[in-house]
Amino acid sequence: MKLKEMPDEELFTRGHTACAGCGAAIAARNLIKVLGKDTVVVSPACCLLIFSATYPLISWKVPYHHVAFENTAACATGMKRALKVRGKDSTTVMGIAGDGGTADIGFQALSGAAERNEDILYVMYDNEAYMNTGIQRSGSTPFGAWTTTTPVGKVKSGKANFKKDMPQIMMAHNVPYVATASVGHIQDFLNKFEKAKKIKGFRYIQVYTPCPTGWRHDTSKTIEICKLAVDSGMWTLYECENGKVTINKKPKMTPVTEYLKPQGRFKHMTEADIKKLQDWVLKKWENDEKLAQLKA
Amino acid sequence: MVKKMVTGNYAAAYGAMRSRVKVVAAYPITPQTFIVEHLSEFVNNGELECEYVEVESEHTAMSTCVSASATGVRTFTATSSQGLALMHEILPIASGMRLPVVMAVVNRAIAAPINIWVEHNDIMPERDSGWIQVFCDNNQEVQDMVLQAFKIAEDKRVALPMTVGLDAFILSHTVEPVDLMEQEHADKFLPKYVPPGPIIDPDDVNDVGVFTPPEYMMEARFNMDKAMREAPKVIEEVNVAFAKQFGRNHGGMIDPYMVDDADAVLITLGTASSTAHEVVDDMRAEGKKVGLVKLRFWRPYPSAQLRKIAEKTKAVGVFDRAVSYGVSGPSFIEFKSAAYGLNVPAMNFIGGLGGRDVSLADIRFMYERLLEAGKTGKVKRDITWMGTRGVEQ
Amino acid sequence: MLAFTRIDTKRIYRKTQVYEPDVVVILDEGLVETVNVVEGLKKGGIVIVNSAKKPEDIDVGIDIKLATVDATTVALEILKQPATNSAILGAFAKATGLVKIESIEKGIMQIFGDRLGPKVGELNGRAARAAFDRTIVGTSRGHRQLKTAKKWLPDVNELPLGVAAVPMKTEAGMVGPGSFLENKTGSWRVFRPEYSKDKCTMCNFCWFYCPEGCIYRKGDEMEFDMDYCKGCGICANECPSEAIKMVR
Repeated sequence: MKLKEMPDEELFTRGHTACAGCGAAIAARNLIKVLGKDTVVVSPACCLLIFSATYPLISWKVPYHHVAFENTAACATGMKRALKVRGKDSTTVMGIAGDGGTADIGFQALSGAAERNEDILYVMYDNEAYMNTGIQRSGSTPFGAWTTTTPVGKVKSGKANFKKDMPQIMMAHNVPYVATASVGHIQDFLNKFEKAKKIKGFRYIQVYTPCPTGWRHDTSKTIEICKLAVDSGMWTLYECENGKVTINKKPKMTPVTEYLKPQGRFKHMTEADIKKLQDWVLKKWENDEKLAQLKA
Repeated sequence: MVKKMVTGNYAAAYGAMRSRVKVVAAYPITPQTFIVEHLSEFVNNGELECEYVEVESEHTAMSTCVSASATGVRTFTATSSQGLALMHEILPIASGMRLPVVMAVVNRAIAAPINIWVEHNDIMPERDSGWIQVFCDNNQEVQDMVLQAFKIAEDKRVALPMTVGLDAFILSHTVEPVDLMEQEHADKFLPKYVPPGPIIDPDDVNDVGVFTPPEYMMEARFNMDKAMREAPKVIEEVNVAFAKQFGRNHGGMIDPYMVDDADAVLITLGTASSTAHEVVDDMRAEGKKVGLVKLRFWRPYPSAQLRKIAEKTKAVGVFDRAVSYGVSGPSFIEFKSAAYGLNVPAMNFIGGLGGRDVSLADIRFMYERLLEAGKTGKVKRDITWMGTRGVEQ
Repeated sequence: MLAFTRIDTKRIYRKTQVYEPDVVVILDEGLVETVNVVEGLKKGGIVIVNSAKKPEDIDVGIDIKLATVDATTVALEILKQPATNSAILGAFAKATGLVKIESIEKGIMQIFGDRLGPKVGELNGRAARAAFDRTIVGTSRGHRQLKTAKKWLPDVNELPLGVAAVPMKTEAGMVGPGSFLENKTGSWRVFRPEYSKDKCTMCNFCWFYCPEGCIYRKGDEMEFDMDYCKGCGICANECPSEAIKMVR
């Protein structure tokens, strides 16, 4: 599907209460267009739930379900199994959760569903912190980032640990499809959701979705930051289809400082810490490249 | 008519199979594990057509059941103790969403200390979860109540999830003769599932479980309360209909035995009811007028019925297999609430915790205490801890 | 979005929402058109509006003491972002006289300064002071018909089972799937996109990138729906042919 071929009909209507410039809203709005009407969606407690479904006003024009915080994959499982029983096995069942609800508290259910190869599409929209509760660090928060639980001051200097590599953890589950995407890379985004829709079995897509409120950047820079993330190697665009890894966009290896510049959450970082982060990025890319070569 | 010697766990699984459950979430925990194992066998030999999900935790088990139920199918799972505790978060979600999920709970002590035998302190914290809760005292009842549970839960006047409780090991692992029902009889009693409310369906778009502001909450809770108040009527209807079709009457909200002219009445939950039944017979033969109320439904609570019985007798005892620390057993608390204003001497007996046996002698002791209280009008001890070394009984 | 404050010299006991305010502060001028902002306002009360207009040019539906200040411009000038919360405090001081501007500046330094550093504290204090200076206190004559925004409030028999959101037409509008259309988020914005059709190549980027989905493809041009646009500026930032510019 090309950009201009995307349908006009919004299955995720305007009028939702996401912050201006919200990356997650861009993701939700567009991915549901690719997946189409024959989709059911489940979300945990997260920004997406609050801004798209506050009773009785809902943005979703497909069925939307919410249960708790840590069980998105479990609920998607239940929905899929029930639809199968009811003879509606062709319906796409999507669980969409933030990074907190996926990499941290949601991990158990996610891993269980993946190991069972449940026929669901799991989407993690990665805004790199627990944003809904006011910007607390998650396993997916990058090194050095300011959050309210990793603040900057006398004792702390932002997050002390590096970003959890969820895509590769999911690849290790040997599921049919794992991919990373970004709302700033349109065709790649469309390709991946289109591909995922057609595959049977457990699919995982982690979408990079900047958050102006939590990352402290200008609301207009959401897409720009996606591009900086990919160009610098902070975020690798790749996919793993039945064990075969393909890098979709080789990073230019722009210095990580370019990526850090527009974001207030990094403004305190020292040269030493920036170097740490740069080293991590280089190592990460080296590792990702090797993986692609190994699993070509 | 197939009468076999089966365990309570088998009976529970069998009841679920005959109820044609469509999604089963399976996770092991002693002493419930056999329930999910039996269900696995039923699926494997083609007797049960369902989606059997070997989940990775009880939290996922209940989540899967909730979402499957929200998507319009009959669901079932089983757990005990720690597993029930892990499900705790999702239980009020099931009831708040008005989903008729049915779950077998093999009542086992909740840690600490970690212990695998019978105690009711696993289900007591779920009193206010919005689930309908029944306690069984024999394996026939376990099978029958699973079928009845779906009928009760799915009734549009109720639309609440339900637990079927059975005591750890005493029922779960003990074989008793059970008339295993035929599929056609079960189908006649429990027809095809019709969801009581809006569901997730790609062809009929609704949303289930979204973020809800204060403006809708009082009404939502009131409706749940109303359903719980309607439930006793439905429970009695289902009991009568079941008895008519299957010839077995387990008693409805309570199963009173010899209470009409009793000088002393004991209220019990679970298998202690069955033991007490024998003691009542023995003591009656000795000319002692004792009666028993098998408290079957914990929620909804049969306040009016218990109050009526309390009004007519001389002393009421409540046997608890759980403790609300610093107060008394929880069943005693509920009884006193129902009996508010009545002058009848009332006593609490706490026993059988963590699998300690509740013997005939224990029950007899309780009745003797009650008869004494009935005669003197004075209660010797408000709360008696049974057979606890270092504590006067 | 409502927030409440009570101010008193003695201990305040009531812990309820405010139903009869003495002062109504409106940060979003658009609300005057859509909501009855003076509901419950006590006689002799005052309305303070974040607006570039003069008090006599604002109609809140009744004759009332009204003060205006363009707090957004103050904030953009001094803080370089449209965060009006500190500035409006200056207007509050001027319009009500309940607190001195010096006290506001001191309080801001304490709260903002403590959490975000002395520079931030000082800047916000300056914003409050500037707003204080620029606040005009006057009167507004009320002519408009007051409308209380209708809200769907089902009773126990009308509320769907399990509080499910089902598609329904209510007297307050649509509810259920797709009903967020009823919520016109256009009132959120400070900046708006200005579109030059002649520069547009119909690349569709802005259409994809808009978080609201309020840019429509209309044949050979894009249409921007100002009822919903929150003014994030992504479209302007990403347009490869500079066909979109963000303006006040």
